[in-house]
Amino acid sequence: MSALKEWFTRLLGTFRRPATDLDDELAFHREMLVEKLRAEGRSLEESRRLAAIQLGGATQIQEAYRDQRNLPFLETLMQDVRYGVRVLRRSPGFTTAAVLTLALGIGANTAIFTIVDAVLLRPLPFSEPDRLVTVGDREPDGTSSNVGYVTLAEWRERSRTFAALTLMRSWQPTLFVNGEAERLAAVRVSWNYFDMMQVRPALGRTFTPDEDKPDRWRVVMLSDALWRRRFGADPSIVGRTIVMNDREYRVVGVLPPTFQPLDAAKFYTAAEIWAPLGYDAAFRDACRGCRHLRAFGRLKPGVSLEQATAEMNALREQQRRENPNEYEDGSIAVVPLQRAITGDVRTALFVLLAAVAFVLLIACANVANLLIARSLVRQREIVLRTVLGAARSRIVRQLMTESAILSVAGAVLGVVLAAFTVRVLAGVAPVSLPRLEEAAVDGRVLAFAALLTAVCALLFGIAPAFRSGRTGAQQALAIDSRTSTGGASRARSFLVVADLALALVLLAGAGLMLRTVSQLTKANPGFNPSHVLTLQFSLVGKVYAEDPAVVAFQDQFVQRVRALPGVESVALAGQIPFGGNYDCRGFHARGFMKANTIDDPCIETYGVTPDYLRVMGIHLRGGRFFDERDTASGQQVLVVSETTAREVWGGANPIGTEVRIGSADEGPWRTVVGVVADAHHADVTTPVSASLYMPQTQFTESYLVAVVKTATSDPASLAPPVRAVIRELDPATPVFGIATLESLVADAGAQHVFVMQLLSGFAAVAVLLASIGLYGVVSYTVAQRTREVGIRVALGAKRADVVRLVLSRGAGLVVVGLGAGLVAALLATRFLGSLVFGVSPEDPITFTTAVGVLTVVALGAHLIPVRRALRVDPATALRQE
Amino acid sequence: MTQPKSDVLQGTLDLMVLKTLDTLGAMHGYGIAQRIQQISGNLLQLNQWTLYPALLRLEQRGWITAKWGTSENNRRAKFYSLTRAGRKQLEREAADWMRIVEVMARVLSPGEVM
Repeated sequence: MSALKEWFTRLLGTFRRPATDLDDELAFHREMLVEKLRAEGRSLEESRRLAAIQLGGATQIQEAYRDQRNLPFLETLMQDVRYGVRVLRRSPGFTTAAVLTLALGIGANTAIFTIVDAVLLRPLPFSEPDRLVTVGDREPDGTSSNVGYVTLAEWRERSRTFAALTLMRSWQPTLFVNGEAERLAAVRVSWNYFDMMQVRPALGRTFTPDEDKPDRWRVVMLSDALWRRRFGADPSIVGRTIVMNDREYRVVGVLPPTFQPLDAAKFYTAAEIWAPLGYDAAFRDACRGCRHLRAFGRLKPGVSLEQATAEMNALREQQRRENPNEYEDGSIAVVPLQRAITGDVRTALFVLLAAVAFVLLIACANVANLLIARSLVRQREIVLRTVLGAARSRIVRQLMTESAILSVAGAVLGVVLAAFTVRVLAGVAPVSLPRLEEAAVDGRVLAFAALLTAVCALLFGIAPAFRSGRTGAQQALAIDSRTSTGGASRARSFLVVADLALALVLLAGAGLMLRTVSQLTKANPGFNPSHVLTLQFSLVGKVYAEDPAVVAFQDQFVQRVRALPGVESVALAGQIPFGGNYDCRGFHARGFMKANTIDDPCIETYGVTPDYLRVMGIHLRGGRFFDERDTASGQQVLVVSETTAREVWGGANPIGTEVRIGSADEGPWRTVVGVVADAHHADVTTPVSASLYMPQTQFTESYLVAVVKTATSDPASLAPPVRAVIRELDPATPVFGIATLESLVADAGAQHVFVMQLLSGFAAVAVLLASIGLYGVVSYTVAQRTREVGIRVALGAKRADVVRLVLSRGAGLVVVGLGAGLVAALLATRFLGSLVFGVSPEDPITFTTAVGVLTVVALGAHLIPVRRALRVDPATALRQE
Repeated sequence: MTQPKSDVLQGTLDLMVLKTLDTLGAMHGYGIAQRIQQISGNLLQLNQWTLYPALLRLEQRGWITAKWGTSENNRRAKFYSLTRAGRKQLEREAADWMRIVEVMARVLSPGEVM
């Protein structure tokens, strides 16, 4: 304690003005001594002399006293800082260049780290989030798939590693308040879901087990936002009923504003209203094969992922033995919720983080380069200080302090830059970055920036500082600008080579992403997205309880929209490609079924109206598509895609054969009447999947997507008239999800575009910095060799010889730099992994172009030095020394 | 000067100052120096200036306080006095010191076997 107190007082002492107390005290001491000595009978002079001896030297005392009064190292540091700031202010050009370079490097790193931190590193905002997982059959990419209700019910009974297991499913309720309809973002969850998440409601309570049953589940919990938006934050809302889809729901609770539905947002929608799942084992959709539910769990304390996975695999095996027709061969994936939510973007963000680290390295190399150049200029000053008795350590410390000042200035500017950049990036980033809106410069980010600053200062400060500190006095006094630069020149050359190599890696990465984006835009999704408007609506409520009512609405809608001016064709579908939904159904072709029908393929299903093919521009390959013949009571028909035909019938013509959809044992046999071209369902980067089409008349769906092809005009301009048609038909039907098909396709590639844009930006910065570094080294060489150039010119060298002389210096560096960069880039680009599409990570075109671009830039960096060398006047050059 | 005077041992000056202030009450630097020299029977060569950084250190640690006052011959002088924490520190250090002395005495006494 007392030591701490002393240290603190001394810290304060460093910044306070020294007191004059000591002088008075010493004067008193001296006088008393003199008096005493005189009293012993000595002369005044003798007494004064003896007193001075006994007391000691005044300066010595003052110094010892001051060292005790404050912290000497801090005092020196402040001196160094003051001196450093003065020195740096005296060369504003150098200081500006260094600070800006560092600000760029530190700013870019801080910005990307801010995003990585918010999206990937920060724990999810739930209680003990690392125990939360998703569970399901392992997909090829390591994620977990959906499960059936009964499967999970058995897990609940048998598992010992889970503290809780819950289910979630999609839900699209339409809320009516005062006659105004609004489709809500919603999910249904097991009654224990909020207990598992350990969320306490702000009002009311969560669900009870009794409410999680068929016919009992019409109770809801509201999000804070919905409660405020639609119910005026009415505290008496709990216990009241609200009307959704023509049915009454009782509000049992309101969630706190802090609860973020990140899990629901990832798998379904950013829910603002929750109802119980309401299944039991006898329920129609509860079967083991009805895998439309997302399972979440909370591991018991101390249970590892491996333990949980092992137990679940054992349970799956047991279930498979008990019900061999319900489970295919496979295994379970237990995925941490954090990873499940951020899975798609991890690679992209880590690639960007690596890229900015490269930018920072280049920035540091450049500043080190500047510092070395400066240390040559400052050699005389340093020599003078050495000669005057400054310790080498003191000089190194002084130079390191200057580096630190540059770093700190760069960091401050960089963090400001980052705070601004993060806002911009949050605006342009693809929506698939969860929690991006939380990204902001905060304590963690500042700590990261501080760490970067320290690393930077060390990286670029240490070499020049020790080089200068090493300068011996006698060597220094004999200083000559040409004799003492060998080491410096080597160091600078190394830094330029590193610059070029790193720049090439970034350029190659950016090039690959550019090619990827171009491949994405060129890739044929299997349909023609141009001039197509899409919008969604749900036909819910008692009026639409029977299929004919829905079909009648559909007919009316299609007829009226087709009559609108500017509309070329219109269709309705249960789902569309790139719409973000999946709806695969078991496909059982007569004569082509597997021994165990659970092993029959699950095929993406589209229920559509007849003009769907025309609107989407999907080609018919054989047979026919749907028309007015295909009524509800007519022959049950089906159209398949080419991939389906190939995979199921193995090349044989499927037209005329029969298929059961969903269950192999029940439901109508549907006749295949046509084959159409393949269309990508989710994005063009995954292989095209098999699909099947059924007419809405025979496979009626209430959740519908309208697709409208326009003749020439902007498809978005058709949204208002199409909405008007729906309002005329049924004012209580809300319309949502209005988008052009082109924008849906673009959104699917948004992540690639985002990475491409950022990488290109970083690569541009890297190339710029590298060329500046190269320019610095070459022009310095030229300046040094002015005399040599002069002599050569005087001896009759031609202009070409001079150019060759200058280029020879830089060319070596460029070749070595690009060579090293090529090797590094070949190793680095493979980490782009799934971010690269349609182009090999070793794509020769990209690499050649990158090398070409850097070569041109490197030549450009030689231009000014070459011109300067050509202007050398032999007479002046020779007189220079 | 029959016997060589020893320098003040590192760390013991603090203890001596504390003990002096404990005995004398409030006292100025000169008085403390005289007292230490006198008590030590002139066996100790005290560089009197070393006293002042030591006094500052003790003050910074909160063991003594300083106040300007008037000396016995009517001059302005800075008087130091022991604080409560200082008195505790003195007790602790004195006890430590005595223990060391005791141990060293035993170790160095010729007759006893360890």
